[in-house]
Amino acid sequence: MAHLRMRYFLFSVLAVMMASCSSYYKNLQTVKVDDACAEKIKPKGIATSWFDASVDVMGKHISGLLLIKKMPDTSNRIVFMNEAGVTFFDFAFANDGTFTVKQIISQLNKKAVIETFRKDFSLLLGIPFQKPLLAWHMGNEYYYGVTNGEERIYFTTKSGCDSLGRLEIGSKRKRMVSIASEGQDAEHPQKIVIKHFTFSMTIELKKIEKNAD
Amino acid sequence: MVNKIFFILMVCCVCSFHSMAQTYPGYKVVGDLPAFKKTFAKASGEINSIAADFVQEKTLVALTETITSKGKLWFKRDNKVRMDYVSPFVYKMIMNGDKMFILDDQKETQVNVRSNKLFQQVNRIMIDCMQGTILESNDFTTQVFENESTYLLVLTPASKNLKQFFQAILLTVEKKDNSPRSIELKEPGGDMTIITLSNKTLNGPLKDEVFSF
Repeated sequence: MAHLRMRYFLFSVLAVMMASCSSYYKNLQTVKVDDACAEKIKPKGIATSWFDASVDVMGKHISGLLLIKKMPDTSNRIVFMNEAGVTFFDFAFANDGTFTVKQIISQLNKKAVIETFRKDFSLLLGIPFQKPLLAWHMGNEYYYGVTNGEERIYFTTKSGCDSLGRLEIGSKRKRMVSIASEGQDAEHPQKIVIKHFTFSMTIELKKIEKNAD
Repeated sequence: MVNKIFFILMVCCVCSFHSMAQTYPGYKVVGDLPAFKKTFAKASGEINSIAADFVQEKTLVALTETITSKGKLWFKRDNKVRMDYVSPFVYKMIMNGDKMFILDDQKETQVNVRSNKLFQQVNRIMIDCMQGTILESNDFTTQVFENESTYLLVLTPASKNLKQFFQAILLTVEKKDNSPRSIELKEPGGDMTIITLSNKTLNGPLKDEVFSF
């Protein structure tokens, strides 16, 4: 009996190990780009909005307010502050992808922190998708995206191409970041969840109606 | 060369004169600062509790964006301040001595402010502004102005750490009862947050449970 239990245990461990080694994107099949669909659902950024923000990273929790502002020159600014009004960071994203740190407190002024936020918000604003797109199919979803070094940056849709699904950054095998939105349309989301899969980090944004009483 | 040095000295003199002579429309300088400090400490020391509504306006000057939040504030001597934001987001912040409790949309967080320099300083500023002990703080250099109905305390941070968050803090105090009317936090980049109190009840009964967590 003990022998059987041990075999079952070893089999379970092996199964878990194999599952964790398997590629998330192994069934991704290259397909021809449907230009009309890609153009229709390609992320076009976020309209100027205020969000109630909550960031959970490696067991630490921080909340605040996040402003996404479309500037008259079509660049974007992303400002994160605490509820009492102290600004933590202010980032500028030009349309050509140029990124500028306008302001950041010393506690967050670390290369890895800034790079993580830059990639997350750049994905949210749809900046990587200005290059010519590739397309793939997996399950009931179509993936459109671009290659950036070792990474691929995707947006997804279902076969009817009705609406934008998720935004994703992945390596060849692993899903690294995923952005899911809720709301009437992709430019006016009521809720956004940015989740990292290679380390523990989740950013949750809930839209604030700033003139609500 | 001598001309160059003379020019630089002139520029320095003009700049320092300009910063010293900063004026606030409608206000005149209170000349005898030591005497004011003494009188103010005694008068504000007679306020043992405050219950008030507050309106907080955060203005991002370069982005032409303002967000207004509202809530309730309670202060009890010594060292107890609670702010409940109720609109357009829900956020509760209780400062009780060295402890700080935060309840946001997602999570309860208890902070020992001694272990976090930033929280410690912000905590101290709020408490000192409420209980009238801000003039005793070594963290600021102070100028005091007055008009018919209010005193204006202009606090300029002395430490490098505080300077990264605030260019100056302006505390407006009612002459009639020495209670705070508003706190304006001016950031180095020009952005500002103004918290204005209204419907104040001074020295009303306020249970310690209001500040427990």
